Amino acid sequence: MNRPPLAAVIVYFYILVILATTGHALDARDIITTAVNYYRGNASIATMEMRIQRPAWQRVVTLKAWTRGQKNSLFTIVSPAKDQGNGTLKRGRDMWTYNPKVNRVIKIPPSMMSQAWLGSDFSNNDLAKSDSIIEDYTHTIVKTETHENQTVYVIQSIPIPQAPVVWGMQVLKIREDHILLAQEFYDEEKKLVKAMTGSRIEMLGGKRFPRVWKMQKADVEQEYTLLNYVELQFKDDLPDRFFTLSALRDPGR
Amino acid sequence: MFSIDMKMAWRNIWRNPRRSILTIAAVAFAGMLLVFMLSWQFGSYETMIHSAVKVHTGHLQVQARDYQRKQSIHLVVPDPAAVQNLLMASAHVTAAAGRANAFALVSSKDRTYGVRVTGIDPQREARVSTLKKLIRRGRYLTAGDVDLALVGKLLARNLKVDLDDEIVVLGQGRDGSIAATVVRVKGIFSSGQDDLDRRAMYLPLAYFQDVFNMRGAVNEVVAIADALDQVSEIKVTVAAGLKNIGKNDELVVLDWKELMPGLIEGIQMDLVGGFIFYLILIVVMAFSILNTFLMAILERKREFGVLLAIGTSHRRVTRILIFESAGMTLLGILAGVIAGSLVTLYFQAHGIHIPGSTDILRQYGLPDRIYPQLSFLSASIGPAVVLLITLLAALYPALKVWRLKPVEAMASV
Repeated sequence: MNRPPLAAVIVYFYILVILATTGHALDARDIITTAVNYYRGNASIATMEMRIQRPAWQRVVTLKAWTRGQKNSLFTIVSPAKDQGNGTLKRGRDMWTYNPKVNRVIKIPPSMMSQAWLGSDFSNNDLAKSDSIIEDYTHTIVKTETHENQTVYVIQSIPIPQAPVVWGMQVLKIREDHILLAQEFYDEEKKLVKAMTGSRIEMLGGKRFPRVWKMQKADVEQEYTLLNYVELQFKDDLPDRFFTLSALRDPGR
Repeated sequence: MFSIDMKMAWRNIWRNPRRSILTIAAVAFAGMLLVFMLSWQFGSYETMIHSAVKVHTGHLQVQARDYQRKQSIHLVVPDPAAVQNLLMASAHVTAAAGRANAFALVSSKDRTYGVRVTGIDPQREARVSTLKKLIRRGRYLTAGDVDLALVGKLLARNLKVDLDDEIVVLGQGRDGSIAATVVRVKGIFSSGQDDLDRRAMYLPLAYFQDVFNMRGAVNEVVAIADALDQVSEIKVTVAAGLKNIGKNDELVVLDWKELMPGLIEGIQMDLVGGFIFYLILIVVMAFSILNTFLMAILERKREFGVLLAIGTSHRRVTRILIFESAGMTLLGILAGVIAGSLVTLYFQAHGIHIPGSTDILRQYGLPDRIYPQLSFLSASIGPAVVLLITLLAALYPALKVWRLKPVEAMASV
């Protein structure tokens, strides 16, 4: 009886293991999940400058932001002085906005959540970086590119039928060190609507992170929003009191 | 004056009065129905356009280029006074008023909605739209008003607010800054158009311009013409005049068709639907006429046989028959047009109220009473088509005479 030599069996298993692990590493869903978690962190405190560019005008707003997971976030305007103190609080599916001039907290109807945020090209949902991109889509790696000597996975995400999403397709570019380089949003006819790109990858809050985010409307060269992180800290956790209605009126206490 | 053939045809018609009268009545009824229905359709379009124009859009608007499509507060008419003067310079423009619009969140104690907030000049607005007359409760705005608002009936109900209650308005100003204010409800209006009553709120223009940082600008200047058919002419004049105001052709003038593309589409769809119905009506009527004439000829084979036998030509017999049918058709059409016009004129004066239709009409922005509009066009198109079709229908039986042979024809009963 001819038995295969022991060495051959070992090599065979070795190949199996390699195949299994590479197969695992190339799972598109895992890549996205890791990237979203990397981007989001457990909790964060950030100061950012948002520049809204339009053909006829432009506007720069400085914001301070507190986030915890995907559920909780609080944004407040630091400058311009005229708008200082205006803020939005998001807790789960609920969202409120506060205006110091009229001294009222207003609950935002869910239908307004996909609307432009502070008149920018970002929507409330874009900022929340919710799990929707992971849960509501099926993902396939369509190709790989290289960026600064690292592999970049280009992932095409198609919504699961009946998923409550507004996009017909999204294309994400994620580098092997989990950094999201670009996210493209397409409508139902697979036509590009807007695209977000991250640039100036630097050490921020203890990890490499794109400092500048640009949300650009398709076909409109002069309409975009730049989000520039002035300061970013990642935390293990933030206490509940940062995400309450009274924190919205008087943030950061 | 009348040929022998015509006299014969006339006598033939009245030889069997009951049958002829029935045929004439069928034609008359179709004619009457068509006159009335077409007048009704044209009348309701006129009402629809008129009420839509008067409730909100006006006959013409001057806007910044692309404003109609983008509805962005940043696209403005920077110098509304100059545009108003230009519009009023036209002899056929009766009134003009500037408006500024913003999409904003409005919030009462426990409800929030996204609506269109419009700043209006109370005095000028009263001349370009029916807003002032639509106030159901409270009062209309006056020139000196500051933090007061008019809200739609459905919006007031949704927000659960009443007169003098506070509403928080939160939106974005022309410069991108956050616009926020608290206003009190001065009046509640009901236009009958659900969309407007649910999603519109009016503030005094000067106050709006202050809150939304408009720096004196408006988003649209609305104009009303003295008649609908003057609109295209005014549009040309104003478009030429706008070249001298502002730079780079940044201002455009739009007519009501461009402002309300949905309305025109609705009218066209309704017209097509109407024409299909009329076509069916006319075809059914044509078959009944065809039937009557065919019967008449089959019955009168013997008579035609005799006529042919005594030397009348086939041509002449055919001619008499065609005169016969033409005579009946013309009588029917005449009666139909007269009856249809009388009925239409009656309802034109009194209006028609269809019980239970108020809600449907409201969706189309129509008042609950419809006034048909008799015109030369509505009184002539339908009957003309009926005349043509019946004459064609009568041709077939008349031509059958050509195949008759005198001896055989006389032998038949």
